[in-house]
Amino acid sequence: MGTLAQGWRSQRRVIGALMIRELVTRFGRENIGFLWMMVEPLLFAILVGFLWRLMKGPEDHGISVFAFVATGYIPLTLFRHCATRSIRVINVNSSLMYHRQIKLQDFIFVRVLIEVIGGCMAYVFIATVLGLIGEFPVPADMGAFLLGWLLYCVFVLALCMVMAPLSEMSDVLEKILPVATYIQIPASGAFNMMSWLTPQAQNALYYSPFVHPMELMRYGVFGARVNAKWDLSVTIVWTVVFMAIGLILCRRIRRNLVVE
Amino acid sequence: MITCERVTKSYPMGHGRKQVLNALDLHISPGEHVGLLGRNGAGKTTLIKLIGGVEMPTSGKIRRKMNVSWPLGFTGGFQGSLTGYDNARFIARIYGHEYTDIRGFVEEFTELGPQLKMPVKTYSSGMKARLAFALSLAIEFDCYLIDEVIMVGDANFHKKCHYELFEKRGDRALVLASHSPELVREFCDRALVLHQGHGTIYTDVNDALEVYQTL
Repeated sequence: MGTLAQGWRSQRRVIGALMIRELVTRFGRENIGFLWMMVEPLLFAILVGFLWRLMKGPEDHGISVFAFVATGYIPLTLFRHCATRSIRVINVNSSLMYHRQIKLQDFIFVRVLIEVIGGCMAYVFIATVLGLIGEFPVPADMGAFLLGWLLYCVFVLALCMVMAPLSEMSDVLEKILPVATYIQIPASGAFNMMSWLTPQAQNALYYSPFVHPMELMRYGVFGARVNAKWDLSVTIVWTVVFMAIGLILCRRIRRNLVVE
Repeated sequence: MITCERVTKSYPMGHGRKQVLNALDLHISPGEHVGLLGRNGAGKTTLIKLIGGVEMPTSGKIRRKMNVSWPLGFTGGFQGSLTGYDNARFIARIYGHEYTDIRGFVEEFTELGPQLKMPVKTYSSGMKARLAFALSLAIEFDCYLIDEVIMVGDANFHKKCHYELFEKRGDRALVLASHSPELVREFCDRALVLHQGHGTIYTDVNDALEVYQTL
């Protein structure tokens, strides 16, 4: 038990130190620094919200367009940022391998964690601002929302655990990432509810790991006003499979990693 | 205690692989000072990286039963874009030390003054060596891995290293890669000569140096 507790303490120290290091190198000490994390999803939610409002009117399927865009875009940008930031994360941080207590999975975890914290802040801020102008409802079921958000984040982490080592093995991933994230949009569940789609489309999207937590989050925010349906086991299976593959790949990369 | 058992390391080179270390055995007891001798490219730095756990052996096993420092060399261990203070803070955090406890020692040992507020990438190799030594001495390891780096310092740095490392911490184990016969002769109990992937251990340092001169 002693060594387990020690390992846990050491792990927490490493994660904390890496977080601070990453934040300082990324945002510097001056200016609003860390707050920049929230700016991008904020602008997306507001500007795209305006665009949709002009195109579709104030409500779509009975819910505020602004709120619907925000609840879709924040998780979507979270996924995109994490995916982009996991490319070559191992290589750029390899000098940290000088310290044995740091594992390369820690780099991936820390980057995803920072994005998740930024995403949470952005969510709270956007929901508050939109709520004050009457464009965002009081969450109908906070527990359901948080469960959906948590599962979404854990799945993104598992995905990044695969992408980070793959990006070290081949440049292909880096090249196809922009188009892949574009193609992913219909499968992301960000811009429509499953119930708005044809049965064939619903059947196909059932296998997308993004859709189910997204539906659950939407249920948590809008409640019965959206006809949300989810099957979390799909996302859980994807998460477990990706995590297992990712850890195996990370181990392989670590064995052959050349550190300057 | 550190044991290396049939440690082999090769790197990809063109279509094949370059064998740097071949089935190397080494045993380092607590308090023992081992010199590493060999020509450029013989694998001294590679061996130090493997012992430090920076890289993994292609095959073979390395067991560490003592607290081993990170390799103190010209590169590695620091984030160039961060300042000396930031790096000190980071290293204090990951090794579970209070930054305020080691800060004074780092300032005193490095004598870098306001330079500690500058990014480490602006440091000369001598300055980096001072910072690396200061931090590893402040953290206190049972075994120090030193890759050449003592030689880059000035006379004052030598004196400080001498006192802090060889006198005050003379009971610690040491692995010292060096091209300087004087250094190895003065401080090492045994020496390992690396040549063409094979290592030969000599219990008499003078024998090792003799072999090394003929390589």
